[in-house]
Amino acid sequence: MTHDDLTISKYDLLFEPIKIGPKVLKNRFYQVPHCIGAGSDKPGFQAAHRSIKAEGGWGAINTEYCSIHPEADDTHRVSARIWDEGDVRNLSAMTSEIHKYGALAGVELWYGGAHAPCMETRQTARGPSQYASEFESLTYCHEMDYDDIRRVQGFYVEAARRARDAGFDIIYCYGAHSYLPLQFLSKYYNKRTDKYGGSFENRARFWIETLEQMKAAVGSECAIATRFAVDTLIGEEGIEVERDGLKFVELADDVVDLWDVNVGDIAEWGEDAGPSRFYRQGHQLSWQKFVKQASKKCVLGVGRFTDPEKMVEVIRNGELDVIGAARPSIADPFLPQKIRDGRLDDIRTCIGCNVCISRWEIGGPPMICTQNATAGEEFRRGWHPERFPKKGSDDSILVVGAGPAGSECARVLMERGYVVHLVDSAEKVGGYVNDVASLPGLGEWSYHRDYREVQLTKLLKRNRDNQIALGGKRLSVDDVLNYGADKVVVATGAHWVADGTNCLTHAPIPGLDGARRDNVLTPEDVIRGTKPIGKRVVILNADPYYMAPSLAQKLAEAGHQVTVATGVELGRYMHFTLEAPNMHRMLHELHINVLGNTWASRVEDGRIELYNIWGDGHKRTYTGPGKMPRSANTTHAWHEFDTLVLVTARRSDDTLFRGLKARASEWDARGIKGVYVIGDAWAPKLIADATFDGQRLAREIEEANPQEPKPYRREAAVYGSPYQPGGSYEIRYQG
Amino acid sequence: MKILVPVKRVASLDDEFELRDDGRDVDPDFCEFDLNEFDEYALETAVLIKESAPEGAVEVVVLTIGPDDADDTLRKALAKGADRAIRVDDADLGDADRVAIARAIAKVAEREEPGLVLCGAQSSDFGHAQTGMSVAALLGWPRVAVVSRLDYAPGTATATVERELEGGLVERLEVETPAVLTIQLGINTPRYASLRAIKQANAKAIESLAPADLGLSAGETGGAGALSRVRRVYVPERGKSEMIEGTPAQQAARLLEIIEEVQG
Repeated sequence: MTHDDLTISKYDLLFEPIKIGPKVLKNRFYQVPHCIGAGSDKPGFQAAHRSIKAEGGWGAINTEYCSIHPEADDTHRVSARIWDEGDVRNLSAMTSEIHKYGALAGVELWYGGAHAPCMETRQTARGPSQYASEFESLTYCHEMDYDDIRRVQGFYVEAARRARDAGFDIIYCYGAHSYLPLQFLSKYYNKRTDKYGGSFENRARFWIETLEQMKAAVGSECAIATRFAVDTLIGEEGIEVERDGLKFVELADDVVDLWDVNVGDIAEWGEDAGPSRFYRQGHQLSWQKFVKQASKKCVLGVGRFTDPEKMVEVIRNGELDVIGAARPSIADPFLPQKIRDGRLDDIRTCIGCNVCISRWEIGGPPMICTQNATAGEEFRRGWHPERFPKKGSDDSILVVGAGPAGSECARVLMERGYVVHLVDSAEKVGGYVNDVASLPGLGEWSYHRDYREVQLTKLLKRNRDNQIALGGKRLSVDDVLNYGADKVVVATGAHWVADGTNCLTHAPIPGLDGARRDNVLTPEDVIRGTKPIGKRVVILNADPYYMAPSLAQKLAEAGHQVTVATGVELGRYMHFTLEAPNMHRMLHELHINVLGNTWASRVEDGRIELYNIWGDGHKRTYTGPGKMPRSANTTHAWHEFDTLVLVTARRSDDTLFRGLKARASEWDARGIKGVYVIGDAWAPKLIADATFDGQRLAREIEEANPQEPKPYRREAAVYGSPYQPGGSYEIRYQG
Repeated sequence: MKILVPVKRVASLDDEFELRDDGRDVDPDFCEFDLNEFDEYALETAVLIKESAPEGAVEVVVLTIGPDDADDTLRKALAKGADRAIRVDDADLGDADRVAIARAIAKVAEREEPGLVLCGAQSSDFGHAQTGMSVAALLGWPRVAVVSRLDYAPGTATATVERELEGGLVERLEVETPAVLTIQLGINTPRYASLRAIKQANAKAIESLAPADLGLSAGETGGAGALSRVRRVYVPERGKSEMIEGTPAQQAARLLEIIEEVQG
């Protein structure tokens, strides 16, 4: 028996088919519904992103949540919609592409209640009781009477028929994340006293009836699934798995073909889509594992499963039948195929940063992925995650900097067949990721580096002309000019500034603009442990992401007394990545003192003068040049510190690029056809965007001006052609 | 003044490999070949000496014994700063041992008359650490093995070298030149070749010599010139485990058999 055979037999269990209602799922890899920003309005994006996973071996692939009616309009966020024939036509693109690979296509029928603000349709959602959403601002629902209930159940049935017509094999009634069916089931929302409220049976009635009606309408042709938060994590006010959770599974089991089970609610759905900062693989199993005790049907669940050993264990232990995945399927659409082929070291393991999710939370931009730069680019740029166009020339390429941008660029260039020299003064591939991954809770982020390191090592073997030179001195402008490369890619990254320059004043902080002080540190100083840190630490923050909270945690856990003075909302972007709630809890537990709305006017030795940014007068008056239009801010006060950490701004390390640019007249004589800059060296950005830069340049390096991206294919409504079959496009007024 | 750097094209094994039919080596189809890591340090030592001297004062000559496949290894050395490359092609190479190889190196040294011969302390595939010492013995030159530091001004009559000993001790020696030194890992940081240097190296001619060109007779090279012979290369048997299956009676019977086997 060879090594490969062993691998296959070991994971055989993951490739066993399983019946779900009238359909057969060909294996145990299941892409649960997840948002991407495509919806029904970007059918090419939708079809390509989902079908790439079918090609990569996933047994079933779902849409994101799919609105059944204009009363469920989540604008500004992007859902799919299946309201009419136009939506059916557009979503059919996805189902037909998925079916080409023998996979099943699923749709998650959704009605939001008060969580859907209906900002586009201007309709009003109905709900079990009238409540204001704890998730969305300023939205109340209309409390349903029996007519309303029948009407909304009818929306589900009509949507299910349209979904069947669009070619979907699996049709969901979506009751996780606090959406309508769960709102009926949960006492947290349902305050009714009629036959749809009160007792468990009454609270379950809406959901059961809806499932029955859907099954009657399409159940002979399609599998009926339901996504159920078996525990809403708020105790007996909500759903608890061993009480209403299991009772509901037993009650509904006959009308459900497939249970998709998770925990949590919508306001804190990071308890389901758990970021790696707080949750490991399989973090929901403590709740999910009960479901199979109460169900005879197929049970699936997510938990950022990336490791085939764990997947097999979960199925073998009888905890789940099918491995659900959203994020791991984004990071590596070919995860199932790589497991089947025994290519485990080729898996792009999800790092659990939740930057994919952040785009939905922000409200609709296309999804991105830190690990997989091709995610979301399948249709519009024609990027396949595993296939690369052959090189367009014999140019040799020098890539300076092996961080996220440089390592990705070098990898893709080598995949394309170019001869690449990748150079970094650090001893290891990874650049900024190596710093970030050493922060508390962010260890899994190092998978970003690991993937590139492993692939680059393989690519070196594939073509011995490639070279990775680590740990040498930094290349000077002359070194690069004399290197002999036809093209040069500069990916030299960025650094945290030491003078307090920030997004509030766009200037250094007085007292920090001269020589560096020994007790004033940058994040790099803290991470690399190069300077002593005193007992009382002040972190001055103007960065809206994880750096200040992470350093506060690291230092508080090491016994320092930490105050964070922040001029921007601390960890604002972490709301989008679903890390914020537990981050705030943790800062509280660690007794970290957070001073919000606070900025600094000057720093002296061992003390910093802070002020409230709203401390000047609210009335605005013009009193002449040189005078402020508001009364003076009188909130300034000195705070003492032993160590001050500045998380105020990053700045590109662009000396090399600018030096090369300044000597552009010499390029020709030295055989240099072009010098390009990517990633943080162009402008500091998310690791995902730096990685994208690297992939993008590598794919477009033959273009006339590869520094600037080629236009991508846009999907937008076309004037002159109606969206609805038989509709119109001309401007028409009533009357 | 010349520095001669003999280099070896070493093999590293793939994850899985097979032995040659005669059982005396690994089938080369299962090997990756590259410049011996120890030789990279020897080469860098030579190039640093060259760079510390006036332009043109020092010539670094690399040498390998092997078929034309080994030209890649020489070109890599040229790209990293060697000035000239020589390959001695020995049709009977397969059975050569360190001494047979050293005879060819010594002949080249006699021809080139270098001030120093810098070898890697050992090869990463076989690790005998004998070739350099054999060259010194054949030439009758002073030699120092496993050098971790070298101070040498080109053209001077002596070099100062250091060796690391047990317990953190350092031995400093003064050695007359010409001498043969074998160089330890970590003495410097070998450079990477730039694309320009690689292109230039690829354009350079490699001097190819037959043993006869060096005045070596058939009995002095290959297997005939070797003082040792590889009898067998093999993977030792590891501890075995066996899943005993069948009915309890069958299992007991098999267990008895094993006990008897082990007891002999």
